[in-house]
Amino acid sequence: MRNHNYLNIDVLKLLILISLVAFNSSILYGQDEEVMEDAILSISFSEDNDTKIITTKAVDQSGMPIEDLELYYFVKRTFSLLPIGDSFNSTDENGIIKVEFPIDLPGDTIGNVNIVVKLIESDIYNDQTLEITKNWGIPTVIEDQETEKRSLWAAAANAPISLIVIVSSMIIAIWYIIFYIIFKLYKISKIKPLIN
Amino acid sequence: MNTVIQKEQEYRTKRGKALLGHTVNTSLKYKLWIAFLLLVIFIGGYAYYRQLKFGLVVTAMRDYTSWGIYISNFVFFVAISLVGSLISSILKLNKNDWSRPLTRVSEIIAVAAIICAAVIIIVDMGRPDRFFYVIMHLRIQSPIIWDVIIISTYLVISLLLLYLSLLPDIALCRDRLTAIPKWKKWLYRIMSINWSNHPKQIETHHKITKLLAISVLPVAFAIHTVTSWLFATTWRPGWDSTNLGPYFVSGAFMAGAAVIIVAMYLIRIHLKLKKYITELHFEKMGRLLVLLSLVYLYFNINEYLGPAFKMVGVEGEHITELFTGKYAPMYWFVQLGGLILPIVFLIFKPFRKPLPIFIISIFVVLGAWFKRFLIVIPSLQHPYLPIQDVDESYLHYVPTWEEWAITMSSFAWFLLIITVLIKLFPVIPVLKEKIDSETINKLNVFKNEKS
Repeated sequence: MRNHNYLNIDVLKLLILISLVAFNSSILYGQDEEVMEDAILSISFSEDNDTKIITTKAVDQSGMPIEDLELYYFVKRTFSLLPIGDSFNSTDENGIIKVEFPIDLPGDTIGNVNIVVKLIESDIYNDQTLEITKNWGIPTVIEDQETEKRSLWAAAANAPISLIVIVSSMIIAIWYIIFYIIFKLYKISKIKPLIN
Repeated sequence: MNTVIQKEQEYRTKRGKALLGHTVNTSLKYKLWIAFLLLVIFIGGYAYYRQLKFGLVVTAMRDYTSWGIYISNFVFFVAISLVGSLISSILKLNKNDWSRPLTRVSEIIAVAAIICAAVIIIVDMGRPDRFFYVIMHLRIQSPIIWDVIIISTYLVISLLLLYLSLLPDIALCRDRLTAIPKWKKWLYRIMSINWSNHPKQIETHHKITKLLAISVLPVAFAIHTVTSWLFATTWRPGWDSTNLGPYFVSGAFMAGAAVIIVAMYLIRIHLKLKKYITELHFEKMGRLLVLLSLVYLYFNINEYLGPAFKMVGVEGEHITELFTGKYAPMYWFVQLGGLILPIVFLIFKPFRKPLPIFIISIFVVLGAWFKRFLIVIPSLQHPYLPIQDVDESYLHYVPTWEEWAITMSSFAWFLLIITVLIKLFPVIPVLKEKIDSETINKLNVFKNEKS
């Protein structure tokens, strides 16, 4: 009787093992092989009456528009980044996103603000951050310290004169007495004892 | 060993022996006491190390309660420090001669308390390394700067006050304590700054002591008034009051008097000074404590009656929480146990005996500490403008073990400073009489003293 059991159970086990390893490594290899590429982002600005729009076009290395690419928009503030636009901003089929810039954000003394656009955590494209300075903020007027009104809430240099005079005179008076006493103690130490 | 040391000293008088004896004898009880204090300080040190390493997050202080028990403890210590001025200035200038033996101990307590108060402020800082920014970027408009200035001034004045009263006694230690370690001899020699009871020295000493006794008074009032302004200038229920300055100052005098009584009792027992701290002192201090408590009671009524009658908005919530809410047990303990009952008891003479008044004073001191807790914390939990979207836990404040350990170690430091100062210097002025040229000549007490 011909034995058709070419694949005995041990061989079968080995084949399964080999195929599993091969399959897994193909997945791993496939992932390694998938090279992340850089998206090309081009940003333009447009103003129309009271609205200010940031338009971003995303294309891949071959120049094809990237659809459904999520981008994040921020304006740099003193301590952190202020998010602008919607919670999620994705490119349309033409690879374009339009985000409205708030009209009431303070900028520096000449109205410059730093707009930051971030591409993060994409499966296909590398992270990147673009920072553009734009003259879209409201210029901040820094009061001249020389002309700032003296008040309790002014800078240290512009404290009310009356307060400076009162506090200083009290400090001088009491510390004068303290130093006078210390001086007198010094004098005491210099007195030679009487010889009986 | 102790008897040998005793014999070698030149005490000259019985009084000298009684009052200087404790500076040379070291008992096992004393060593155990020091070891206990050092242990508490060590635990507090570890807690502070954790606070430095991990930041203020190890405390229970969050966005709402940003001043916790550190600041209430700070206010307590500032209050206690006023006692130096009460005894050394107010009683002295009013010629209450009975208070002379209490002068030194009150000055020692004042120095220890103001040192602890100053250090606690730094402990409360998340970045203590930036403390000097407060000085470097000084803004004279800020009440915190006023407080920093006044605390450092009062610290120097308290040290001077103690030193001036000690000076003749340090010279006495230098001359009479002959069988003491070299470092102690050196310390007495340096600190006595060639004091030789020269009439000119006595005259100058008398003059500057009086000048300092007068000057310390406005500074003492200022230190606690400015501390109250830290609260009064912040817009919170319970603090938004014009009553706060005198309320704080009167409370401080009351707490200070109670601390003196506690110290008097312990010193009297442990240093065997019953002859020098007599029942008369307790009797007089008892009367003084009643007077000071009545003044404080008056300001308390002023502080709570207005807002409690109106019960407006957040102010009403704050009052409700104190009167019937979660802080009610503490509030009523403070008001009844720490203020009203002591007044009632101390009106009767038997309660002004040493032991009863000692126990009553402990209640007053405890009440004073918890009172500062009630001034600081519940107010912070009821801001006029509630903070948005905070964690629910931020609305409550239960101090962490680190905060308790650090606070306990501040008490240990306070007691350690007092213990060490009492160990180094006579706690009661050795000279019976006031030091002035006339008395010195009359008694001729210093004749033949080595200089």
